[in-house]
Amino acid sequence: MEWLTPLTAVYAALITVPLLLLLYFLKLKRREHIVSSTLLWKRAVHDLQVNAPFQKLRRNILLLVQLLMLLAILLALAWPILSLVTGPGQRYVLLIDRSASMNATETDSQNNKSTNRLDTAKEQAKVFIESMRSKALFSLKDKSDQTMVIAFDNHAKVMCNFTSDKRQLISAIDAVTPGHDRSSLSEAVVVANAFAQPAGTEANSQSTVESAKLILFSDGRIRDLNQLTVGSDDLSFHCIGESGSNIAVTAMQARRLFENPNQVEVFATVANYGRTPVTCDVQLSLDNNVRSVRSVTIPPAKTDNGTESLSPGKIAVNFSLSETRAGVLEVRQLHADSLACDDAAWSILYAPESLSVLLVTSGNIMLESALKACPIARLEVCSLAQFDAMDNSVMGVEQPFDVIVLDNCLPAQLPKCRYLIFGQPPEGIDVSMPGQLENQVMVDWRPKHSILKYVKLDNIYAAKCFQLNLPRDAEVLAEFNETPALALVRRNGSVFLLVGFDVLETNWPFEPSFVLFCYNATNFLGLQTGQNRQINLRVGDPIIVEGLNPDITAKINGPGLAGMEVKPNSAGIIRFVNTSEVGVYSLNVPDQPLRFFAVNLLNEQESNIRPVRELVLSGQNISAQESNISRANLPLWPYLVCFALILAFLEWLIYTYKVQI
Amino acid sequence: MSPKMTTSRKRLTDLLDPEFMNRLDSLDFLSRKIMQGKLQGERRSKRRGQSVEFADHRPYVAGDDLRFVDWNIYGRLEQLFLKLFVEEQDLTVHIVADISSSMSFGEPSKELFIKKLTAALGYVSLVNNNRLNISLFSDGIIGQLSNMRGRNYLHKMADFLLTADCDGLSHFEKTCKQLSAGRIGSGINIVLSDFLFKENYDSALRRLIGKYYDLYVIQVLSAQELSPDISGELKLVDIEDTDIAEITVSTALTKYYKRNLNAYCNELKDFCTRRGAVYVLANSADSVESLVLNYLRRIRLLR
Repeated sequence: MEWLTPLTAVYAALITVPLLLLLYFLKLKRREHIVSSTLLWKRAVHDLQVNAPFQKLRRNILLLVQLLMLLAILLALAWPILSLVTGPGQRYVLLIDRSASMNATETDSQNNKSTNRLDTAKEQAKVFIESMRSKALFSLKDKSDQTMVIAFDNHAKVMCNFTSDKRQLISAIDAVTPGHDRSSLSEAVVVANAFAQPAGTEANSQSTVESAKLILFSDGRIRDLNQLTVGSDDLSFHCIGESGSNIAVTAMQARRLFENPNQVEVFATVANYGRTPVTCDVQLSLDNNVRSVRSVTIPPAKTDNGTESLSPGKIAVNFSLSETRAGVLEVRQLHADSLACDDAAWSILYAPESLSVLLVTSGNIMLESALKACPIARLEVCSLAQFDAMDNSVMGVEQPFDVIVLDNCLPAQLPKCRYLIFGQPPEGIDVSMPGQLENQVMVDWRPKHSILKYVKLDNIYAAKCFQLNLPRDAEVLAEFNETPALALVRRNGSVFLLVGFDVLETNWPFEPSFVLFCYNATNFLGLQTGQNRQINLRVGDPIIVEGLNPDITAKINGPGLAGMEVKPNSAGIIRFVNTSEVGVYSLNVPDQPLRFFAVNLLNEQESNIRPVRELVLSGQNISAQESNISRANLPLWPYLVCFALILAFLEWLIYTYKVQI
Repeated sequence: MSPKMTTSRKRLTDLLDPEFMNRLDSLDFLSRKIMQGKLQGERRSKRRGQSVEFADHRPYVAGDDLRFVDWNIYGRLEQLFLKLFVEEQDLTVHIVADISSSMSFGEPSKELFIKKLTAALGYVSLVNNNRLNISLFSDGIIGQLSNMRGRNYLHKMADFLLTADCDGLSHFEKTCKQLSAGRIGSGINIVLSDFLFKENYDSALRRLIGKYYDLYVIQVLSAQELSPDISGELKLVDIEDTDIAEITVSTALTKYYKRNLNAYCNELKDFCTRRGAVYVLANSADSVESLVLNYLRRIRLLR
């Protein structure tokens, strides 16, 4: 036990103890009371004094109790501390891992009680907060510890900025919720350093303020440790968790056969991270109806000799089913294990679709032939006059065509749809055309974009093309040497794929890439512009839906969400980022069919829940702390004050007993 | 009934209920000793005199009244003998009451109790034609009514008691000296006081104990003295001499007070018993009627 302010207590004692004694001697102001005779009272007093050997003590017991009470208060003023950690006030950053692997439950063999790793980490963090040093009473020079709380998975979230308010810090720790994402520490460290740096100082400058110490509560399964540069003195690692056995679905894909779209193939990989082989059932369900259950035996995990890293035992499971309708597929392993969020994976199955395309042209045999070569269910060809004669409102609302191809023609009005536009771009989509250019060669393109997948444009030459001035949000897919050649523009709920030249003015129709482009472009535009088809997501990936009316309000349902309302932005795009839990999310847009999104973990490293006791950062190893955090800096003054209060009560009791007959 | 009597009954009713007085009419004093009276009365005395009760014979001497010669004996023995009879004399009742300042203490006060008791005993004495002497004392005898006999003195007695106020120190020794020097004569002697005297009461009481007196000591204490109801840090002030005692009332102190009070009363009682006197402890909160009609009859002071 240490005393933080002993001198304060001594000074107070020098003043108060003589004062109490003085008051004790002065305090008796006796009440006058008339009696018939003092004869017997004097005899009684005399007898009392003579016959009671401890009468002095009995008379002074109130003084003794008061002295004890004063002593307790004086000791409390001396600020006694149990398990004192000395040194100036420090700054700490608590980094609490809330990734998927921290959801693993550990069974305590002694208590037979299951606890979540994240809860354990939060408990230890709270003990750390309780052990923070507070500023001593009446002390001007001491500083208290300051702590910041950051919860991280793939992204860092600041729960509480630097403060010494323990209540605020503990409520911030309580507010940390489990996530199902992977864990990445670099963003958390960057955020911590940014907050720890005093305002107005350069990041690299030597600051008088001591750098904050990072306290990491994690199971050590962090994927980007190699990118971190943190000194071993600056990071204290508390490893959470014991067990490592886990069964996880680490891969899943469902697709319809190209030859027979009614036939669905489902591929899944189930991994075993335990040391023993496990026989478990794998279940396939469609819309929560079990369609198939297969028993598999998964081999045990193996440790590579060279890297000593654990590679799980895996087994591939294939299912095949015949289904013409859309639905949500779920593959779930039924073996009970520590981590629940990786026991299942979902995939959204769409009904086999066929495209309907309208070609508006004054006659382009090349384009028409190329479109006919694509697997399009319905291809209609019309002239510009016929297109202008169509009912614009019906075209915009009912949308009888998935894609409208405009070949060198400028319609009077453009109903809401998805357009592939060859030649001059239409007005009203913020694309200006200052003039025409000649003799352009394709110099650059984005082969990874789904429109240009397998499309080679290296030999394309244009005798004439339009010079395009694109808006800032346009997506340029290919460029001539002086102007963009292919661009994707989204306006007013419509999507425009601009091809800034007449194909007959180029050699492109004679290249195989032209047919591939037409196939990709109609597929991309027809199936709601590519990205909308990204319905099988990873945890943390945003749900993006385009081409919506900006005035509507959609509702999202999913794990942990119930009817959350979202609104599209002015461009008609919904971007929902709160996909922190695995499961199936559904988006309900008014007057449109329900859209489903599957959010999966599917991460081998995150499913490996075996705790890592030694972190290998860039260049150095950091071992986990041997023991759990124990309570330090326990102030004893509240107990002393309680003792003083009890004594005050005792004094009152004694006084009452003495004066009452 | 004369107007004078009406007035006296009225004043006396300030102290005694008429109903209580009616019950007192049937009572009379009993004396444990045969004592000499002053006038002829209804009590046997040691004297030989005129009465109907034969006592003894004695030889005739010249000058004796020939009316008392027993002629029957002369007929048989031819000698002259005189018949002697027991003389019947009156009984004297002395009531010595304390009216010092301390008697005004208590709720109800000891003063009222003593005055009522004095009036009751005096009433019994007067209606039975006993001789009554009442002496009030504090620092010596401060008032005295002597040789009252008969109902006519009721008014005077009541007036005397009601006009006396409690005042002054109590000086019992001095009082007893004055009483013994006053030759008040033999009889029943009733002393009413709280006996809480700073001086010793032994020598004073010894003066009242003797073959001429049948002594009754009635100690009157208030309820507040018998069982004090006080608490806290107190400065006790003596009502008579303003003597001060500083006390912190505690259970232990109260216990010692009660023990001392008991010891004091028992000491007084032993003193009286050893000397043939009768000791009575009375609580001023109790009723005088009950004391007179029950207890004093039980100890055979009254019948």
